[in-house]
Amino acid sequence: MAGMKTATGDYIDSSWELRVFIGEEDPEAESLTLRVTGESHIGGVLLKIVEEIKRKQDWSDHAIWWEQKRQWLLQTHWTLDKYGILADARLFFGPQHRPVILRLPNRRALRLRASFSQPLFQAMVAICRLLSIRHPEEMSLLRAPEKEKKKKKEKEPEEEVYDLSKVVLVGGVAPASFRGMPAHFSDSAQTEACYHMLSRPQPPPDPLLLQRLPRPSSLLDKTQLHSRWLDSSRCLMQQGIKAGDTLWLRFKYYSFFDLDPKTDPVRLTQLYEQARWDLLLEEIDCTEEEMMVFAALQYHINKLSQSGEVDEPAGTDAGLDDLDAALSNLEVKLEGSAPTDVLDSLTTIPELKDHLRIFRPRKLTLKGYRQHWVVFKETTLSYYKSQDEAPAEPIQQLNLKGCEVVPDVNVSGQKFCIKLLVPSPEGMSEIYLRCQDEQQYARWMAGCRLASKGRTMADSSYSSEVQAILAFLSLQRTGGGSGGGSGNHPQGPDASAEALNPYGLVAPRFQRKFKAKQLTPRILEAHQNVAQLSLSEAQLRFIQAWQSLPDFGISYVVVRFKGSRKDEILGIANNRLIRIDLSVGDVVKTWRFSNMRQWNVNWDIRQVAIEFDEHINVAFSCVSAGCRIVHEYIGGYIFLSTRERARGEELDEDLFLQLTGGHEAF
Amino acid sequence: MGESNEDIDQMFSNLLGEMDLLTQSLGVDILPPPEPKPPRAEFNYTVGFKDLNESLNALEDQDLDALMADLVADISEAEQRTIQAQKESPQKQPHSASPYVPSFHGTASPGYGANVAATSQFDDDLPPPPADPVLDLPLPPPPPEPISQEEEEAQAKADKIKLALEKLKEAKVKKLVVKIHMNDNSSKSLMVDERQLARDVLDNLFEKTHCDCNVDWCLYEIYPELQIERFFEDHENVVEILSDWTRDTENKLLFLEKEEKYAVFKNPQNFYLDNKGKKENKETNEKMNAKNKESLLEESFCGTSIIVPELEGALYLKEDGKKSWKRRYFLLRASGIYYVPKGKTKTSRDLACFIQFENVNIYYGIQCKMKYKAPTDYCFVLKHPQIQKESQYIKYLCCDDARALSQWVTGIRIAKYGKMLYDNYQRAMARAGLASRWTNLGTVNAVPPAPPSTGVKTGTTQANGQIPQATQSVNTALGEDRRHLETTKDKKPGLGSHDPGAPRAQPPPKSSLPPPPPPVRRSSDVGGGSPGTPPKAKSAAASFPAQPDDLLPPPPPPPPPLEDDELPPPPPDFNDAPPDFVPPPPPSFAGDLGFSLPPPPPPPPALAPEPARTPPVVVKRPPPPPKRQENPGLPGGAGGEQDFMSDLMKALQKKRGNMS
Repeated sequence: MAGMKTATGDYIDSSWELRVFIGEEDPEAESLTLRVTGESHIGGVLLKIVEEIKRKQDWSDHAIWWEQKRQWLLQTHWTLDKYGILADARLFFGPQHRPVILRLPNRRALRLRASFSQPLFQAMVAICRLLSIRHPEEMSLLRAPEKEKKKKKEKEPEEEVYDLSKVVLVGGVAPASFRGMPAHFSDSAQTEACYHMLSRPQPPPDPLLLQRLPRPSSLLDKTQLHSRWLDSSRCLMQQGIKAGDTLWLRFKYYSFFDLDPKTDPVRLTQLYEQARWDLLLEEIDCTEEEMMVFAALQYHINKLSQSGEVDEPAGTDAGLDDLDAALSNLEVKLEGSAPTDVLDSLTTIPELKDHLRIFRPRKLTLKGYRQHWVVFKETTLSYYKSQDEAPAEPIQQLNLKGCEVVPDVNVSGQKFCIKLLVPSPEGMSEIYLRCQDEQQYARWMAGCRLASKGRTMADSSYSSEVQAILAFLSLQRTGGGSGGGSGNHPQGPDASAEALNPYGLVAPRFQRKFKAKQLTPRILEAHQNVAQLSLSEAQLRFIQAWQSLPDFGISYVVVRFKGSRKDEILGIANNRLIRIDLSVGDVVKTWRFSNMRQWNVNWDIRQVAIEFDEHINVAFSCVSAGCRIVHEYIGGYIFLSTRERARGEELDEDLFLQLTGGHEAF
Repeated sequence: MGESNEDIDQMFSNLLGEMDLLTQSLGVDILPPPEPKPPRAEFNYTVGFKDLNESLNALEDQDLDALMADLVADISEAEQRTIQAQKESPQKQPHSASPYVPSFHGTASPGYGANVAATSQFDDDLPPPPADPVLDLPLPPPPPEPISQEEEEAQAKADKIKLALEKLKEAKVKKLVVKIHMNDNSSKSLMVDERQLARDVLDNLFEKTHCDCNVDWCLYEIYPELQIERFFEDHENVVEILSDWTRDTENKLLFLEKEEKYAVFKNPQNFYLDNKGKKENKETNEKMNAKNKESLLEESFCGTSIIVPELEGALYLKEDGKKSWKRRYFLLRASGIYYVPKGKTKTSRDLACFIQFENVNIYYGIQCKMKYKAPTDYCFVLKHPQIQKESQYIKYLCCDDARALSQWVTGIRIAKYGKMLYDNYQRAMARAGLASRWTNLGTVNAVPPAPPSTGVKTGTTQANGQIPQATQSVNTALGEDRRHLETTKDKKPGLGSHDPGAPRAQPPPKSSLPPPPPPVRRSSDVGGGSPGTPPKAKSAAASFPAQPDDLLPPPPPPPPPLEDDELPPPPPDFNDAPPDFVPPPPPSFAGDLGFSLPPPPPPPPALAPEPARTPPVVVKRPPPPPKRQENPGLPGGAGGEQDFMSDLMKALQKKRGNMS
């Protein structure tokens, strides 16, 4: 096309030379010089480049990046003139998809190829499709924090990086499921391992590592994270990301739509992981009691995922499940409710009889444990002076239904007590049963627990409960022992997965506050309430508990309100904005999105102005994070609130970009 | 189960024999009831007893009555199903029913006496006696079957299954007779079975009273001794709660309106948006529109996890065992109530847990200022439901004002019950909506001829008004029963009219029903103590085998026998009675009628034109059942069981259908 020459070699058309570097932005990259005119189309230029390179290769993913303008030349029908490209333009002919390392919510690293040319929003859609995470709009990428130099000197353990960069998804088609995982994961053992990493919860972190990781010590620290979000309306290239860079993948918007264990194993797991790390790293505060529940759930989840009792793969036998459910429903209907229970309890009345030592704390009594003959039948506990007197009136009879059962166990001290708080019309009566050994303890404990729920030992869960208790005792021997032995320096990650190391399950401040042997029983106690949950149920429960923390889902940025002289914190949640005092942490004011009329961004003075109903106007300039980030948060939440179940998976990308994009984007 | 089957076989054949004897003797005399002996004996005793102990017996008997009704229903069922049996059935039915009559009166009247005398109505575990009879009673139904000859084998099997189920069920189901106080100082006794939730009991009460069924109605428990009270949440199991009361308790159960119950759903902004915005928000609160409220509720209750209102502030805490109160800063979280220990900040990490909600219920404290020297009268109390006496395990907290109190109580309920509350509310709303539609229909129709089911309310009351008065003057006790009968009749004709494809509307003249309008519908028979249904009617009904069972549930069975604490004043009775009937239509309408019957009540417009049609209905009635008036007692099938029974029946009928 361009480059018509005379015999002497002079160009007679208006063509000029265009230099194009081959490869990614690399100053030393090989370059080509093409002869073009202003009317040359980008497509033509691309073609010419490929011809010139004379290398056989799939060039389809390649495009031209204009360095000075920080722009991809993706419109192949546009001419150079239209783009405004002159001879001095530095153009790079390189792939649009480049490898990046994603730091997943579970803190694992994953290499994959991400689009560097599409707006991040679209790139995220592709990434999430690859990872089989639904609702990519809830997630986004952050720049990795800059590492401090000092730490680099410490030998960093080589970390396994999972690799999905070779996997290419066919566009448009929903990934089919194969062998219980999306088909594209089942290609090789490597990708399969990757899927397991994605869809199964990770074991608890090494407590030492946990203590070393940076934790926010103030609200101000919590704002740091949010200054690193990438801009959804621009591509990675435009935001200075280079191939091979590490980025964090996180759930950005705390509004999780339609979370379904069946279809979202990866999403659920990653969300759980994010919640867990939030708690462990004290990004979100919780109370001691809440922490114990979280720890118990983590312990339970870890146990299930270690033992391979993963839920049946999603989708494969959903039909069967339904059928089974229907059948069992039918059965129940036909037979009345669980007839076996009734018949069993009619025919065999399970009971426990034994000599136990009993202690009843009373005021002004110094009596300790005393031996009694104790009979445990149905849900009632009766005790007698001796076995001979059994047929007569017992000294006391307690119906354990609704009672509180608290283990008081010290394995190394061979102390196996059960504390019962039995409600009665007069109040609660307290009684301690002391068993001789683990076996006896497990049987009685299991009976008490069932009875407290109104079930008898005839219940089918009795024997499994006994086993579980024995298992816990052995755990306590290992876990509690090691913790107790090494004081505040529990074992490293090598500790067998079976051992319960409570320090990996709680935030470091509890590590300081409690000894391991204090924590273990509390965690196990909390565990008894969740022991029946399946893996995904437990994860869901964890997420729910996380969501019901008062500070859940608030992203903090430092702002300065118009007319105010000091910096304050703006908290952004899915339904409201919160003005928070920087030093004290008190909520000063809350505005709800539902009352919001409009918001505007003045990009020049970096100010966000928001108008609420009844002419309430708020304006602030952003200090810690760009106002683009605040703007995108607000717009993003508005966008998320427009989602409806009926619309299914389709995303209204335009609306999103409209709500979140800044003027620079267009 | 094999063994029990044999047992059942055994019992079965025994009972068969017994039944035969009984029925034969019945032909001659009314006395011999098909009941097992022991209860019988008690029966006789109870008549006329007035003291508290006896009331227990009386209750059992009432229980028995309910069961009896069930039994009778069974019998008529079985009979109707067999065409051959038709000829015999007319005779049999009256008989089997008639024995019932005496039993009914006997038990009922002592019941009244006892109720008046006794402060506490219910009885924790109904003493064993009822249980046995229960098991035996179901047997009777078989007798009619032999009539149906060849199918015996198959039927026997089916019956065995039925029996076994029955046995299982009965062994498990616990029932209480509960006295519920109304806000006009009257009270009603109600049979509540173990499976009923507060919602079910409320529905029953709606049917018994003329209340507007709005969402604020609740069951309200009062502990006079502790001076605490609370309303039941709709999903709570009533029997379970009452089982925690002690035998000699002074606790009372009330039926009244409390707007606090669902205040959070009516004005969520008062709970969710309060305090945060200080004054400005309070102004906006008033103005919150319905749409915003809805979205606020959606946000708070429909997410992956519910949102507990943020609530914190200083409350007074009564110190254990003392009458002194300490002011502390408390915070509500989903996981419990926390307080700020001295010298700490109120960040999550410094909070100390005050109480978690798993094992406690929340109550309002009444007049704590007086009783415990509380700083204000806005107190709430947390205690384990089983604790009934003063105890250090009861926690008393005191708020500065009523607003704070309602926020705390509501907040705690949300934290404790979660989404369940919202579900309850929606159900209550649905119920209220239905009710208001009915009343609207009713009033509209009142003037023109009342349609059968929709109009039942108005129509029946009119009918009752005329008839019962006459009868009542003669015999109040009987009158009551009769009223039931009649009302049921009213309904029946309506239903019956549909079968034939006749008009649905009932003629106003219907009020003249008093005679014995024949129950066309088997359903009515079952529900209304149908012994008297004429054979022909039955055959008609036979074509809708599944129907009867379904229809049963609507008429709150227990009501008739129990309902009456205060028999004495006839007029009140009169008022009471209609409600029983009124209700039935809606339920049946809503759920059960569904299949074969054209829903009679629905079309309000249709009703107006009806007058012309009504006559046909009347015409249909003609086949008046004999002895109608004598068998009034039955209306109360055992309420709770009905669904179960109906399932069973359906299954059996299916089986039968296959065989024939």
